[in-house]
Amino acid sequence: MKRKILVIEDNEQNLYLIRFILEDGGYEVLSAKDGREGVEMAATRLPDLILLDIQLPDMDGYTTARALRENADLNRTPIVAVTSYAMPGDREKALASGFSGYIEKPIDPDTFEAQVSQYIAAKNRQRSRP
Amino acid sequence: MINNKNPDCYRRFMFWCCVGLLVSLFFNIPSARAANRIVTVGVYENAPKIFMSESGKPAGIFVDVIEHIARNEAWHIRYVPGTWIEGLNRLAKGEIDLMPDVAYTAGRAQSYSFHKVPVLSSWFQVYACKGSNIKSILDLRGKRITVLEHSVQEEAFSNLATGFDLFATLIPTPDYKNIFELVASGKADAAITNRFYGVMHAQRYGLEDTKVVFHPTLLFFAASQNTPQQLLDTIDNHILNLKSDPESAYYGSLKRWTSEEVPFKLPGWIKTLGWVMGVVLFMSIFGSIFLKHQVNERTHELRKINQEMEQRIVQRTAELATAMEKAQTADRIKSSFLATMSHELRTPLNSIIGFTGLILRERAGPLNDEQKKQLKMVQNSSRHLLALINDILDISKIEAGQLQLVYDNIDLCQMIDKVVQSTQPLADDKGLELGVDISPDVGTMVGDARRTEQILLNLLSNAIKFTETGSVRIICESDESRVAFKVADTGIGIKDDDIKTIFDSFRQVDSAISRKYEGTGLGLTISRKLVELMGGNVWVTSVWGAGSTFGFCLPKERTET
Repeated sequence: MKRKILVIEDNEQNLYLIRFILEDGGYEVLSAKDGREGVEMAATRLPDLILLDIQLPDMDGYTTARALRENADLNRTPIVAVTSYAMPGDREKALASGFSGYIEKPIDPDTFEAQVSQYIAAKNRQRSRP
Repeated sequence: MINNKNPDCYRRFMFWCCVGLLVSLFFNIPSARAANRIVTVGVYENAPKIFMSESGKPAGIFVDVIEHIARNEAWHIRYVPGTWIEGLNRLAKGEIDLMPDVAYTAGRAQSYSFHKVPVLSSWFQVYACKGSNIKSILDLRGKRITVLEHSVQEEAFSNLATGFDLFATLIPTPDYKNIFELVASGKADAAITNRFYGVMHAQRYGLEDTKVVFHPTLLFFAASQNTPQQLLDTIDNHILNLKSDPESAYYGSLKRWTSEEVPFKLPGWIKTLGWVMGVVLFMSIFGSIFLKHQVNERTHELRKINQEMEQRIVQRTAELATAMEKAQTADRIKSSFLATMSHELRTPLNSIIGFTGLILRERAGPLNDEQKKQLKMVQNSSRHLLALINDILDISKIEAGQLQLVYDNIDLCQMIDKVVQSTQPLADDKGLELGVDISPDVGTMVGDARRTEQILLNLLSNAIKFTETGSVRIICESDESRVAFKVADTGIGIKDDDIKTIFDSFRQVDSAISRKYEGTGLGLTISRKLVELMGGNVWVTSVWGAGSTFGFCLPKERTET
């Protein structure tokens, strides 16, 4: 069964790029254009991994991450920030808001898939524990 | 006692009887002080014994004595002013009861009554202008001498002159009042007065006492012949008492009227000094008043200035607060601008770099060689653009003070390995030897790993970029407090003129070279700023055509800068 990855990203080109790379890598890609839609979709589809942009309209990535973490079903789902935010404290702020990791934009097509698979593997290791 | 033939005396007697009767009806007065009797006393000018004071009241030693007695005997004293001669005449006529300061002579005893105890003893003395050089009575020969008319001294001097067979012109004067003035104005050569008057007045007229002293006299109150003996006895009793007590009013009066004014002539220089001191004192007082005025004025000015300053400070503080608020707002705007720019610039680059990479990997389909070549160019340009954006953002952040260092323990060997590994392919491409020389005691340091790596990577890639043949070496050594990194190459080197500005922004040496060696020209600037931010410093040594060595050192422990 294909792993499901939810991509919450408002930029169409970037979404297309990520979707292309991940689908090419054999993942099922779900997508949402904003935080609210993302939280709803995550609740119904229970993805294996969520890639979340920080700068989103209305509800930003940090708020979205906290909303996702409120859902008990998504408690262990890795949420990875994919962002071009590079100001001091961004990484720390992201981790404090419930993100599991941080991939800086622009993404590198050669390494992106490998980075994503690492997070899924880490989650599986956790799950396999008694 | 009472001369019935004298109607005046009779009338007076009757009067006294009536008065005494009336008073004794109202007051229970002891009979010893039978009556509140009125005693009339003549007054003439013979200071300090008897005279009219400036305020028009009788004064002098005799007045003090008779007043003392009057107080004790409840007498009422009525004074009758006049000249000496007038006084004597009145006394002879019985118009007054007492005439003060009369020397006893046998002749006078015929006309007047005397009590027994003298009030004063005196003598006569000749007074003359200063420098008159009168040393004995013989020096008075031919002189004009003024003397009180019908006085004892007139008579005594006449006798004396006769005795010495000397002729002098006597100028009688009715009163002491003008006696010295006659001498002072040159109308007489000398004056004879009693010593009391002389002591008191000679100085004032510029006269001095001569050595000519004569005729000691005893001075009494002379009484009219119809004055009751009881009154004279009372006077005697009192004078005896007064004289026996050194604290009495009598001695007080003597002291008061006869204490000689000590003529003290100041030497000229003291006068001058006095003047000078006076002038100095005046000037200093004036000066101090002037200064005080000035100080007050200045104080006022200063206070005013102070107030103005305070107001200005308050105003400036308010302005500063506003300016600070503005600056802080500007800072926040700048900060948010940087974040936004960072995001906005990277987002399109994200897809450019991403899709170019995808297409080049032929995931979307096969490419021909020309397409690959051109897409490679797109990829390089976009990577360069990304590097530029990153560098500019770094510089902006450093300059805005917004770059925050993340301190951690750094394993230096591990970090250098990582940097070498990432640049190895570049060196290999150019056939350069990439050497690492880490001294064994280097160990770890506390610093920002990501930023230290960034600096090393920058220096190493620069070295590789500017070296065509030979080697690039990375050297790391440390002492107790610092770690030094050096990157030495055998490249083109830097000219002396350029070394000074090598670390400035956009200072890639030689624009032709810069075209050949792609770069942002910001790497060294960022490296320098980062090193300084971490409390270290950078340096470079180079020989043109032979190679360069870039170095930096960092403190081993975190330092607050």
